[in-house]
Amino acid sequence: MRPLPDHSLAPELLRVWRISSLGSTLFLCIFPLGYFGASLLWDLPLWIMYILIGGVVLLGLFDIIFMQRWKWKRWKYAVYEDEVELLRGVIIRERVIIPMIRVQHVDTRQGPLLRHYGLASVTISTAATIHEIPGLKEADADELRDSIARLAREADPDE
Amino acid sequence: MNNWQRQHPAAILVSFFQGLRQLIVSFVVIFIFGSTSGGMRLLYTAGIMLVILTGSLIVSAVSWYRFEFRLIEEELQVKQGLFVRKKRYIRRNRVQSIHINAPVPQRFFGLVEVSIETAGGGDEPEFTLSALPVEKAEQIRGELLYGSEKEEIFAGEISSGMDQALSEPVEEKPRRTWELGFRRLLLAAVTSSGVGIAATFAAALLSQLPQFLPDWLLGIALGWIVQSSLVYIGLFIVTVLLLAWIFTILSTVIKYGQFQVTEQNGELFISKGLIEKKQLTIQQHRINAVRIVQNVLRQPLGYCAVYIESAGGGTKDEDFSTILLPMCKKSQVPELLETMAPDFAFTPEFHPLPRTAVRRYMIKPLIPITAGAAAASYFLPFGWLIWILLVPAALLGYLQYKSAGLALSDRHVFLRWRTLSLEEAFLPRPRIQSVAFTQNPLQRNAGLFSLHMSVLTTVTGKTFSLKHTGDDQKEDVMSWYSYQNGSPNASDIDRAHAETVE
Repeated sequence: MRPLPDHSLAPELLRVWRISSLGSTLFLCIFPLGYFGASLLWDLPLWIMYILIGGVVLLGLFDIIFMQRWKWKRWKYAVYEDEVELLRGVIIRERVIIPMIRVQHVDTRQGPLLRHYGLASVTISTAATIHEIPGLKEADADELRDSIARLAREADPDE
Repeated sequence: MNNWQRQHPAAILVSFFQGLRQLIVSFVVIFIFGSTSGGMRLLYTAGIMLVILTGSLIVSAVSWYRFEFRLIEEELQVKQGLFVRKKRYIRRNRVQSIHINAPVPQRFFGLVEVSIETAGGGDEPEFTLSALPVEKAEQIRGELLYGSEKEEIFAGEISSGMDQALSEPVEEKPRRTWELGFRRLLLAAVTSSGVGIAATFAAALLSQLPQFLPDWLLGIALGWIVQSSLVYIGLFIVTVLLLAWIFTILSTVIKYGQFQVTEQNGELFISKGLIEKKQLTIQQHRINAVRIVQNVLRQPLGYCAVYIESAGGGTKDEDFSTILLPMCKKSQVPELLETMAPDFAFTPEFHPLPRTAVRRYMIKPLIPITAGAAAASYFLPFGWLIWILLVPAALLGYLQYKSAGLALSDRHVFLRWRTLSLEEAFLPRPRIQSVAFTQNPLQRNAGLFSLHMSVLTTVTGKTFSLKHTGDDQKEDVMSWYSYQNGSPNASDIDRAHAETVE
C-alpha cells in the first residue's frame, strides 16, 4: 500500500472557507425572501416561510460549522520528487496523481479574501487538466510553486 | 508566397454564403413561429432581410480586403480584422494537423479551404483560410508540415484537382492505404447509432406537422386517432423510426463516402466525404489515445469503429475525436493499427472487475426506472407497464459489469466499458496527463474505486473513466502510473523544500 499524502492546508484557510460559505448561505436567503414577497401579493400560508428560514439556517450552520471543517481535514497533499499527489473530498473522496513531467506550468493565485489572511492558492496545470491546492501560507505557496516548477524542469521528459 | 497577399475574391462569396446559411435557419424560425402567431407583415420581414443581406455582403467584402497572409520560412503570418488589427503567426512546430476541405460553395470556383489546428492556446484552436487555389493550399501544408527543406518536391506537382491534394512530398517509404469500400460503407450506414438522435429530431418535426395541415384534414386525422389511439401511436413511432433510419443512412453515406486512410512516413492522411470532401493530415506520434467503439448493432456482427484522440483534429459530431476506421472487423483491428498507429497495435486481455461491483452496476440503471415507473403507475392509466422496463435495465447493468475490464502492459493501460455501446480505450502512459481515483460512500462500503485518466485532446482534455474497480486493481494502476520509485518518504519532500529555500 502506498502511503497517503500527509501535508495539510493552512489552518487560516478554514476561516476563509467559512466566510465564503456564509456568503453562499446569505445567497440562499433569496428563497424565504422571495416567498415573503410573494405572500405580500397573494394569500399564502406563512408557515412555509418559517420552514424555508429554518431550512436555510440549519443548512448554513451545518455547512459552516461541520462541512467546512471536514473538508479542511480531508484535504491533504504531498509533493514528491517525481509527482504531486492530492487527496480530498468529504463525500466523494478523490486521490489525484500528477507526474512532474506532465506539469506545464504552476501559478499562485490570491483573491482579496486569501490576501487578507496572508494565503495563496497553487494551481498546477498539465496539458489536459488543472489542479488547485486551495490555500497555503503565502511563503509556503511561493516555495511550493518554485519547487514544483524546478522539479518539473528537472524531470526527464523522455519517459 | 513571400509577399502579403489576399485570398481568392471568391472568399467574399463563401463567407457571404456561410452567413446566408445561418440566416436561412433564423428565417425559417421566424416563418414558423411568426406565421403561427398571426399575420406577420411580409413586406416588413423582406425589408429587414434585405438590409441584413446587403450588410453581410459588405462586411464579407471588407473583411476579405483586410485579410492578408504570407508564407515565409516555416511560418504562416496572417493579418486580419475590421477595426482591431489582429496579427497571427503560426510556426511549423506548433501545428498539430492540417485539413484541406472542399465544401460545396468553394467547389464552384475550384478552391479549397485550409484549416490549421495548433495545440492548446485558448479559445481559438483552429485557424481557417476559407478560399485558396489547391496549389497554394498544398504549398502552405507542405511548408507547415515538412519545412522548407522539402519544398522543391512540391514545385513539380502543382497540378489540377483534388486528386493531387493527397500527393505525398517524400517517396521514401511505400504508402499503405485502407479504403472503406462500398460494402462496409453500407453496413456502417445501416448500423449507425445516430438513429436515436435522428428519431428525436424526426419526432419533433412530425409533431409540428399539424400546424401546416388544413383544418378539415386535421379533423379527420384527430377523429381516427381518438378512435383507435394505440394503433396510431404505434404507427407514429414506426414512421418516426423509419424516417430517422433513412436519414442516418443517407447522412452516414454522405459523411463517410469515399473514405480512405493512407499511411506514409509516420503520417496519416484521412480523406472522406461524398459531397463535401474533407482531408486531414495527422502525425502518428501526435496520437494520444485510440478508442474502439462497438455499438449494439455492430457488436453481434463483429464490427467496430476506431477513433483516434489527438491534440489537433476532431470534430463536434465525432465527439471531438477523429475517426480512423469507420467500420471494420474487430478481429482485424490490431493488424490495421500495426500500420496506421503502430504504438497502439495490441490485443489486450481484460481482467474483470471484482464480483462486489455487480450490485453497483445493476442498481444504477434501476433507480431512474423505478422512480419513473412509480410516478407513471400513480398518474397514468397503464403506467404500471413501465415496471417491465426494470428487466432490460437490470440486464443492461449486468452487461455493463461483464463488459468492464482493465489491463496493463509496460507502457499502456487498456480500459473497457459499456454505456450502451461497448468501448475500449488504449492509453500510453506518457500521454496520460494525470490519474485520479474517486470513491463515493457506497463504493467505500464495498471497497471499490473509480479510475479517471485524463488525456489531451482537441481544445481541452478528455477523461476516460472506469467505475467500480477493486482495491488491488487500484493499487496496480497507481504503482504502474506512479513515477515515484519505491515508496516516497517525508525526508525527500523536506529536502526538496530545503533546496528551494537556499
